[in-house]
Amino acid sequence: MTLEVPTHTFALPDGVDPAALVSFLATRFDVVSEPPSSVTYTVLDTADRRLGAEGLDLALETGRGEATLALRDGAGSPPATGRAGRHRRWLARDLPAGPVRDRLVPVIEMRALLPLARVQADVQTLRVRNRDAKTVVRLRLTTHAALDVGPEPVPLTPRLEVQGVLGYPRPVARLVTVLTTEAGMVEAPASTADEAVAATGADPGGIRTKVRVALAPDDRTDKAARRVLRDLAGMVEANLPGTLADHDTEFLHDLRVAVRRSRSVLRELKGAFPPDELARQRDALKWIQAITGPTRDLDVQLLEWDGLLAGVPADRHAALAPVRTLLARHRAAALRALKRELRGPGYRDAWAAYRTFLKAKLGPVDERPDAVRPIADVAGERIRKVHARMVEMGTAIDESSPPDDLHDLRKRGKELRYLLELFGGLWPDDVVKPMVRSLKGLQDVLGTHQDREVQADHLRQLADDLAGQVGGPEALLVLGVLVDRLEAEQHDARSHFAERFADFASGKQQKLVARTFGS
Amino acid sequence: MKVVATYNIKGGVGKTSAAVNIAALAAADGLRTLLWDLDPQGAASFLFRVRPKVRGGGRKLVRGRSDITEVLRGTDVEGLDLLPADFSYRHMDLVLDESGKPTRRLRKVLAPLGEHYDLAVLDCPPSISLVSESVFDAADALLVPLIPSTLTLRTFEQLGDFLGEVDRRPDVLAFFSMVDRRKRLHRQVVESLPQGRGDIAATAVPAATEVELMGVDRTPVVVRSPRSRGARAYADLWAELRTRLDL
Repeated sequence: MTLEVPTHTFALPDGVDPAALVSFLATRFDVVSEPPSSVTYTVLDTADRRLGAEGLDLALETGRGEATLALRDGAGSPPATGRAGRHRRWLARDLPAGPVRDRLVPVIEMRALLPLARVQADVQTLRVRNRDAKTVVRLRLTTHAALDVGPEPVPLTPRLEVQGVLGYPRPVARLVTVLTTEAGMVEAPASTADEAVAATGADPGGIRTKVRVALAPDDRTDKAARRVLRDLAGMVEANLPGTLADHDTEFLHDLRVAVRRSRSVLRELKGAFPPDELARQRDALKWIQAITGPTRDLDVQLLEWDGLLAGVPADRHAALAPVRTLLARHRAAALRALKRELRGPGYRDAWAAYRTFLKAKLGPVDERPDAVRPIADVAGERIRKVHARMVEMGTAIDESSPPDDLHDLRKRGKELRYLLELFGGLWPDDVVKPMVRSLKGLQDVLGTHQDREVQADHLRQLADDLAGQVGGPEALLVLGVLVDRLEAEQHDARSHFAERFADFASGKQQKLVARTFGS
Repeated sequence: MKVVATYNIKGGVGKTSAAVNIAALAAADGLRTLLWDLDPQGAASFLFRVRPKVRGGGRKLVRGRSDITEVLRGTDVEGLDLLPADFSYRHMDLVLDESGKPTRRLRKVLAPLGEHYDLAVLDCPPSISLVSESVFDAADALLVPLIPSTLTLRTFEQLGDFLGEVDRRPDVLAFFSMVDRRKRLHRQVVESLPQGRGDIAATAVPAATEVELMGVDRTPVVVRSPRSRGARAYADLWAELRTRLDL
């Protein structure tokens, strides 16, 4: 069931005076003007612009009274509002109870809402009425400017929002026809928030997690690889300030993913690079991965804490409070250490050297056998080989295999996944997408298997620290329940392995891989 | 979606005024709000300048055979939609009687709207009937206007007794309505109430010209004259109700 009313946002063409537009509309419709208003607000969104992608606009309005969050969904309903409180960033727990939180939490999940731009807007609200003097269309005419982006405010495109009223489809259709055919209006290409974010110099799409590099199958492998690596390096740099500020856990997560993908490119396409320099850069990225690991592991523990508690009887939850406190304390210590490293000369020099490596001359190609080969040949060969190796490793796994065998297979799976994500665009979607899907199915099981083992180990290691805490002995007793649950989930994941692997390694799939990525 | 119904067995006690103003205040607070004008007289529909007409009439609507999205109308208050009255609602008792599980019908009609609205306000006709029972079943709370008089509390207690017999008892919040402080009886009745009685609101809505003018201006008093005594009283009443509804 849908209750959406038609909404349109038109950009005022250059030279069209807002007042003249209102006068023009008044000649054609019964238009009532409300008193004009002015508002200065801050655009809030997650760093990856989750709200923007969902068509949501969240404004922090700080007038004379209390700061307010106003959430518009663009579907024609008035904004949901709530008290903003005083925060430098808003995580789900910081949002006011009520509709604002209810609508935002499923979208932002664990991400923080951050101030991205400031806007000053002058708004003229108009209503079109029918013969009964009933409002049948609402209009908002806005002129606005981005603030704090230079010596002067930067004007944004004036816009006219047209919003139908439920149950009255004809008047809005007629108005839109008049606006487009007689007043030359066109739909605004970007939202105000996008324009305001762009005015600050940032990417209106937010910090990306997907590589955006157009490759051709016969591009030289060394050039193609470095273009991908430069894009990934940009993601590392984009996520660094948020990691240091600890806005939310995903800055660090995304930074680590970009580093891991970069390592994967260097490993899988190693024949495109000079061996000595390659080894140095691989070591540098491995070091970054290592220094960021402890904080991420603890983030995972804390993010999954509520889900973990769900498996423990409610009357035992209080007893586990010291465990969570301890995890949070360990996380704070890990973060402090991480910040020291990331702000220190070791990271600065390593990253500068890596950036130089991505743009400097790579030297003669005779010691880089894959450098001038077409990327489709080299990446295709690697995809085929990694797939074949995974089939071999997975086939050898049986019920008696140690957990490390599954872990090793998972690591290979990540290699394959990155190859497909970064270079899969060189092959037809109808081959790559099902392959990614079956790989994902397998990786989910292997991931759960490994994560639960790491989590259980981690909790076991807390035992010594817990003993000395207030409430520690009680927590230790219940900790066993948590560890049992994690082990049960690990066991459960393993029981699904054979089925997922069979799908991944089916004869049909192997033939398809050989045919598509074959030499 | 929370459901609140303005109800009293008697007419002319301020049900529609309360329903319209509470709904407008809820919408102004950002709650997606629906007002269902269940009274065949269609006063709430009139106030919002919406024609009191439901395609297919009350029978199809109650039986779930009309597309409810086709009959909803947006009002002049942003965020507030109206399910208009229809003269055929005067036969709603009969329609309910003919259907299976009549007391659960209105809840069933409202169910699919739950994902679109945070609050539904039902403006009920004055009666005690199958319609009322179906309203009691659908509502999380009943908002009961009481004009201060000697028999008022007795009538209210009778309602309480009746609600004691229904399967799904809504929370009840009564409030004094159309209170004229110049009348000694009104003052006496309001002041004679035991303090801290949980089922009667601390807020009393005054008899005020600006509230009566709603019928002329066809605009809720909380929109037209938000600083007037009447509007402030409705705002206080809404605050009490919102807390009770946990919205």
